[in-house]
Amino acid sequence: MKFILPKSYLLVPFFLGMGACSSYLDVNVSPNNPTSVTPAVLLAGAEGGSAFVNANELNRFSSVLVQQLAGAANSPATYDIYQTNSADFGNQWNGELYNGPLINYQKLIELGDATNSKVYSGIAKIMKAYTFSIATDVWGDVPYSQALQGEAFTTPRVDKQEDIYKGNATLGIQSLFDLVREGIKDLDATSTLKPAGDDIIYGGNLTKWKQAGNTLLLKFAMTISRKEPALAASVINEVLTGANYITSNANDMNFNFGSSVGSQDPRYTYMFVSSFQNDMMLSTRYLNLLTSLNDPRLPIFFTKPGPNYVTIDNGFRGTLPTPTANWSRYNKYVTGNSGEGPVRMVTNFQRAFILAEAALRLGTPGDPQALYTEGITASMTLAGLTPAQITAYLDANPAVAKLTGTTEQKIAQIITQKYIAFTGNGLELWNDYRRTGYPTLQLSQNAAGINGTLPVRAVYISNEVQRNPNFPNPSPQSNIPVWWDVD
Amino acid sequence: MQKILLGSWLLSLLFCLPVLAQDIAVSGRVTSSDDGSTLPGVSVQVKGTTRGAITDADGNYRISVPANARLVFSFIGYTGQEVAVGNKTTINVTLVAGSQSLDEIVVTAQGIERDKRSLGYATQEIGGNILAQRSEPNLLNALQGKVAGVNITGSSGTPGASTNINIRGITSFNGSNQPLIVVDGIIFSNDVNLTQNTLFGTQPSNRLADINPESIESVNVLKGPAAAVLYGSRASAGAIVITTKSGRNQNNKTEVTVNSSYNVQNVYGIPKFQNDYGQGANNLFTPTSNNSWGPPFVGGPTSVTNTQNQVVPYQAYPNNVRDFYRQGSILQNSVNIASGDATRNYIIAIGNTLQNGIVQNTKFNRTNVQLGGESKLKNGLKVSGTGTYVQTVSRAVPGGNGASAFGQITRIPRSYDLANEPYQGADGKSIYFTPSTNNPQWSVNNERLDSQVDRFFGNFQLSYDVASWLNVAYRVTGDTYTDRRKLILPISSGRAPAGQVQQDNFFRNELNGDLLITARKDNLFMEGLNANLLLGNNINQRKTQESAADATSLTLPGFYNINSGTVFTGTFESSTLRRLVGYYGQLSLNYNNYLFLELSGRADQSSTLPKANNTYFYPGASVSFVPTDAFKINSDVLSYAKVRASIAKVGRDADPYQLSTVYNKSSYGNNVANIVYPLAPNNTPGFSIDTRIGNNNLKPEFVTSYEFGVNLGFFKNRLSIDATYFDSKSTQQIFNVAVSNSSGFDTRTTNVGELQNRGVELILSATPIRVGGFKWDATLNYTLIRNKVVSIAPGVKSSTISGNSFIGIAPSIYEGSPYGVIVSTANARAQSIDPNGLYYDATGQFAGQYVVNGTSGQFAPGIANSVISNPQPNYIAGLTNTFSYKGVALSVLVDTRQGGQIFSFNAVDARQNGSMYVTGVDRDQPRILPGVIQNADGSFRPNNIQLPAQTYWSAVGGLASEAAVYDATVYRLREVALNYTLPKTLLNKTPFGAISVGVSGRNLFFYAPNFPADPEVNTQGAGNIQGLDLNGPPNTRNFGGNIRLTF
Repeated sequence: MKFILPKSYLLVPFFLGMGACSSYLDVNVSPNNPTSVTPAVLLAGAEGGSAFVNANELNRFSSVLVQQLAGAANSPATYDIYQTNSADFGNQWNGELYNGPLINYQKLIELGDATNSKVYSGIAKIMKAYTFSIATDVWGDVPYSQALQGEAFTTPRVDKQEDIYKGNATLGIQSLFDLVREGIKDLDATSTLKPAGDDIIYGGNLTKWKQAGNTLLLKFAMTISRKEPALAASVINEVLTGANYITSNANDMNFNFGSSVGSQDPRYTYMFVSSFQNDMMLSTRYLNLLTSLNDPRLPIFFTKPGPNYVTIDNGFRGTLPTPTANWSRYNKYVTGNSGEGPVRMVTNFQRAFILAEAALRLGTPGDPQALYTEGITASMTLAGLTPAQITAYLDANPAVAKLTGTTEQKIAQIITQKYIAFTGNGLELWNDYRRTGYPTLQLSQNAAGINGTLPVRAVYISNEVQRNPNFPNPSPQSNIPVWWDVD
Repeated sequence: MQKILLGSWLLSLLFCLPVLAQDIAVSGRVTSSDDGSTLPGVSVQVKGTTRGAITDADGNYRISVPANARLVFSFIGYTGQEVAVGNKTTINVTLVAGSQSLDEIVVTAQGIERDKRSLGYATQEIGGNILAQRSEPNLLNALQGKVAGVNITGSSGTPGASTNINIRGITSFNGSNQPLIVVDGIIFSNDVNLTQNTLFGTQPSNRLADINPESIESVNVLKGPAAAVLYGSRASAGAIVITTKSGRNQNNKTEVTVNSSYNVQNVYGIPKFQNDYGQGANNLFTPTSNNSWGPPFVGGPTSVTNTQNQVVPYQAYPNNVRDFYRQGSILQNSVNIASGDATRNYIIAIGNTLQNGIVQNTKFNRTNVQLGGESKLKNGLKVSGTGTYVQTVSRAVPGGNGASAFGQITRIPRSYDLANEPYQGADGKSIYFTPSTNNPQWSVNNERLDSQVDRFFGNFQLSYDVASWLNVAYRVTGDTYTDRRKLILPISSGRAPAGQVQQDNFFRNELNGDLLITARKDNLFMEGLNANLLLGNNINQRKTQESAADATSLTLPGFYNINSGTVFTGTFESSTLRRLVGYYGQLSLNYNNYLFLELSGRADQSSTLPKANNTYFYPGASVSFVPTDAFKINSDVLSYAKVRASIAKVGRDADPYQLSTVYNKSSYGNNVANIVYPLAPNNTPGFSIDTRIGNNNLKPEFVTSYEFGVNLGFFKNRLSIDATYFDSKSTQQIFNVAVSNSSGFDTRTTNVGELQNRGVELILSATPIRVGGFKWDATLNYTLIRNKVVSIAPGVKSSTISGNSFIGIAPSIYEGSPYGVIVSTANARAQSIDPNGLYYDATGQFAGQYVVNGTSGQFAPGIANSVISNPQPNYIAGLTNTFSYKGVALSVLVDTRQGGQIFSFNAVDARQNGSMYVTGVDRDQPRILPGVIQNADGSFRPNNIQLPAQTYWSAVGGLASEAAVYDATVYRLREVALNYTLPKTLLNKTPFGAISVGVSGRNLFFYAPNFPADPEVNTQGAGNIQGLDLNGPPNTRNFGGNIRLTF
């Protein structure tokens, strides 16, 4: 056999290689990720982030600080003795705020405007304002007006909390109030695409969104009320005049999780599922408060698997009670039967308590006592008590039911009831505590932290300080109040 | 008709066709000038061609050569010789012993064999004989201490643990810094495929683990870009060219070699613990505590009640950590059948490695089957091919921080009887003293990651001498594997309390086609100037696919199937496809065999870059000059001298899909609590924008490298020096630059920055003694590399390296620092530089000392964003001494790594928990933190505040503090191998051609002056994140015996 390979054959691959390049190399479109999405999936994804950040680590931190929960191990135990530093809350800052819901609300605003679907932009603005308020209430001055711009500002300016709440035309900072107002206005625009099931919070009900937006204005106003009483009063009067805010528990701005793993409320996952489930339990101090007030919500808010409530004191460092199965933990009111939640972000009872406090503190319209009673009633109704049970409780406990004494004492009563009503939303409790000093808390056992003080802010995360020279380094420690926290 | 012809030709090509007749057959015997003994394994090369043979066990060779050829004989340890064939058919040669021949033939880029003297850059060849039978199944580990300029770090002693290798430092911010691996011309994937986060999961193998060290003929390390430029982009981190054994050197004989070895492994290098104080805190026993700050054993309670309500003795269990590990074993068996003659040969190699790890249930079982051969057809066409099938089956248990066996084993109280306490309840769940995590025994007996890799790689090459001066060859190579994995985390597992089963399947495929045209012209333009020209084309395609079916929230305990799950949101798929077309050329000029010049260049066109920037060219040039030949220096003192220099630039493309900003399925949270869309109850889908900003203007990145070197041989080359200085600069780095998270993103992909590597490599070889049959050879490898991040991006002083890391403990690039420093919180120190800064000490007396809080006696708040740890060593050195006498050879390798730091979670855990030895010393005595206290007037006084031991040791610092950083300096008796080859005379009446037996040991002893355990661990495995001891398994000490039989 004789076979001679024509020499030129060997060159064929060479020329094939050269000739085919243009299409041969055209394979760089990712099969794994979309480069564009619909407003619907952005909204659903972002709403979950706002609920998650409220209910996850920041809730554990703040609920332990305000002594509704007590830390038994790991980070809750650390927070319980007031230790927190720049290594904490990195995941919250990144994944649960700026790289999470916030940037996606920003993208949703852009996409809503671009697709002539302003309704989406409107919801996104309201939620963006709510979510930004978490960031500034926790950390004080934060990037805001230059934030979420991607490549345009890779090291955004750190805006003063005052400017975030009040706006600053010179610096081009839109106030949170104006952001919400703009969002409410967008809800009335004609819209090609409209939310439905993708809006996990309200199912696309725009009336409820407007009420939520206006109630959010009340919350913001009350937050700054001690620093800026005049501005706060004017915002509250504006909302009262418009008369389109949440007045029914059914319209609360809630986020409902699911009952299966991977869809559950982080408060449930942490306390009942995760390997960290024995890190926290009900605080002895909160148990004592609710017991002393004969509050019927105690068994609704917390479990009692054994004959008694099993609790520890805040800062406790001794032998933990056993078995852990008997520890008192969040009950179904907070976590749902199997982790459905909801996370109660803006509520009817909150609105009533805010208006009660505003009437006393700022002289805005409304009867403080009536609003106070409305708040308690709304909360107890939400907790599943019947009107008869509520009336019976209020009648039997006039010390709770009637606002008495000085304005300050009345405010203490209001905030204490708001504190109970908001069980499970530690951030709101911590905000009110820092703002008003109520309910009065004794230092935890073994208090360490900065000179043994209860943290009044979170320390900027180290990653951000490393990356953005606009952050002060060293950063303010946990004992430095934020702007609206006047004392 | 032609198709049929071609088909039958393909079928018959390996073994069938007769010899080409025009050549002259030459044979002979090679002997040693020392004692006249015959020399096996001597390379016999036809000068100026790739044709060659190797002497057999009796020193005989046979080769067919063209008329007027010259034969070059070379052998390690002997001075080479060149003989003109003329019309002789028998040529016997006596080689003169030197310590090292400096004229070896080495395999360079694209498989080109070159005379070492002609190279203007550094390469280093390691013979297979010093990698095999060394109690080490991982090739990269077996190279440790044996190559200059190379930094190799194993991650642990567990089966299949991955090993990191960097040649001449780190040259890319973001890309892989692992060298290109080439096995018999096949671009060979050394990827590490991750199923779990590296902080919390198992550390899978690097896929070079699929190579059996017993099958290796030689490993050649191409260190710089100049050496590797022909391989293109992917060799910018250097290349490791592996040649496996073949039938090429059999002279009409069939040789069967059987190898067997058995080694045992024992845990080695865990920290020393105290055994005076038991479980608890503040001198009180607490049954749920993972601290050992409880009462002393002497004078404390004699018994205590544990969390199972049992009364147990209160005593130390000194070996409760050590006994957690079992004795492991490694059984290796292989059979090689090699046969061939001058025109055709084949090899069949079968090998198996079965390792049972020191951690219960871990194993690694690798089977390799290789078939290869080559044949030269009558018409001059040369065909060759090889194919290898590998199956690697392994089982690992998850590691990492927190709820893993290794995250907990460091937190076991000294009084906890881990071995005998129950670890599993009737319900299958973990039982432990603390309910908040899993018992390590439970973890290793229940959690696992199984993997089965099926891999095939092979090549096929046709080569044809178109004319005596022109050869055309085409080579196709392929490497493909699937890794089918199954992760099982039973219900109550800390990582997945509701249970998780994941079927994670990886597929990777790479194809390369290379056209190589070589032309040769002697006496070009002038007498003595020989030229070689190579032109090549490479077409490359790489495909990967990972698909995972993920089930969580398992319904049936013990039934570990996807069908047991109720939630499947973790299910995903991910694929990549990338292509590259390259054109390369190399012109080599040789003037009278003492002056060499080589010019090379390559242009690549890559699919991963934007069209406008996707073609890029890069050149290289090198010169080499041998003055001893040029000036005919014939001195017994200076026997050989060569100086060399090279400059080269290599471009590198991006990873696929870096150009756009994409969206991902939404998810929030981490191992503590998380949600993943679509979200129940309505399966609402959600998407979020990615944290990386894409870049549609991306350009290739480049490494430019200079190197200068000398090779000197003294005293007939009994002492030789190979010294290299190199300087490389990486520019226009494709990097995901960290951006402020408040921008809405985490990184942006862009071309930025500059990275510099400078270093010295030194190889010192000597034969200090050669008396009678006794010989002592010594080789020292020394590596010094200084790496520096010159700049990152405008306004960016530091950025985290891609990969998994804890926030606040960030492996980073940091301007002015070496690559990979860890940025975290540093202790505040008094300073005398900035009067307006914190802790200003006008006197300067206390500058540099730690600042202590005047009330608490503990350190003042630390300074975030500080460089606290540098993983890069000052230098690495390895010294191999080999003593041989007749058939006995003893080789001893000691090596050291000087400097470099390790950030240790394990050490901090054990120290804060009061279990580390040092915490038991004088525990009843108060202690004072080193440092100074600032007075009200701003001045300082030495700290004098006494703290109890427990407060003191936790105040020293935990994770995310500089107290977690240790000096990683270590000295190690890396390897000892003793081998005995039976004298031939004993074997005359047996069927055996050779028998050798040996014993060997690895990691027999180490000394780390500043770290309480073995600092050579790297829990995150092969990759750009180094220097973290993050709750991973420990190292092992191996020893065993082996036997090699040749028929």
